[in-house]
Amino acid sequence: MTGVDENGLAARASRGDADAFGALVALHEAMARRVAYAILEDREDADDAAQEGFLSAWKAIGRYDPNKAFRPWLMQIVVNAARDLRRRRRVRAADSLDSVSPAARDDPAREAGDIDLGERLRAALATLPDRQRLAVVLFDAEGYAQAEIAVMLGIPEGTVKSDVFHGRRALRRALSTVKEEWDE
Amino acid sequence: MNEPSPFDAGPDAQLGAALRDALAMPFGAAFVQRVRARLVTRQRTWDEELAGWFWQGLVAASLVTVLAGWGLNHFSARDEAEASNTSVASQLLEGSTPGVSVLIASMRSSEAP
Repeated sequence: MTGVDENGLAARASRGDADAFGALVALHEAMARRVAYAILEDREDADDAAQEGFLSAWKAIGRYDPNKAFRPWLMQIVVNAARDLRRRRRVRAADSLDSVSPAARDDPAREAGDIDLGERLRAALATLPDRQRLAVVLFDAEGYAQAEIAVMLGIPEGTVKSDVFHGRRALRRALSTVKEEWDE
Repeated sequence: MNEPSPFDAGPDAQLGAALRDALAMPFGAAFVQRVRARLVTRQRTWDEELAGWFWQGLVAASLVTVLAGWGLNHFSARDEAEASNTSVASQLLEGSTPGVSVLIASMRSSEAP
């Protein structure tokens, strides 16, 4: 993100500059799609939700206050778009979760035969309650402050702290299992 | 890896990097291109389309108004002249004195090219 004047781009976008908003899309697409993927557990759905989030943000850009940070404002819209899509595709989401066997959901590291950190983490993420999963991804992977996450998710900051703590514990366990297998 | 403490205030860099890798999505450039294409089509909503036609509409309406005004003025002046000629002639033939308004109209029509 270095070398890009995000505030300047956001201010131009808020005046209806589509090129400036396009630059913001390029800047934040990876993060938006990761967060949507964490919510939806399906790459195609994540892309649909991230795209819908960006287009909703563009539609609502007149309501964005250029004096405030752009990233949390955008991410809140993307999170809402992903959650809406998940509600609409609840059946598909349930199928996706069911595809992880009960053993893997209890201890995803034990289930996997080969050592693939990404798969283990995704399986471990799938075992977490939605809010916990989102809190830990937004905090540890995307670097949002707990206060910002609280606003995004509409929950008290203390709840975010607790969700991050519990989510981290489960994910660190998955990571440490892989590390042990590497060391063997 | 250490057991997390409830007092961990900062992000866990190692876990964060692993999560970013695990959740990474391919084809970023294609995604951006697709969203940008939708931005251009969304840029012009129906009210903006109407606004785009405003000046052309205004110029066309002005032209129509000017032409209609000119036509109305031209034909009404001609009718008025014809009417005044008829009435002066008929009044003189009838042996009566034409009124002031009939005379003025007659003079105006004779001054007109």
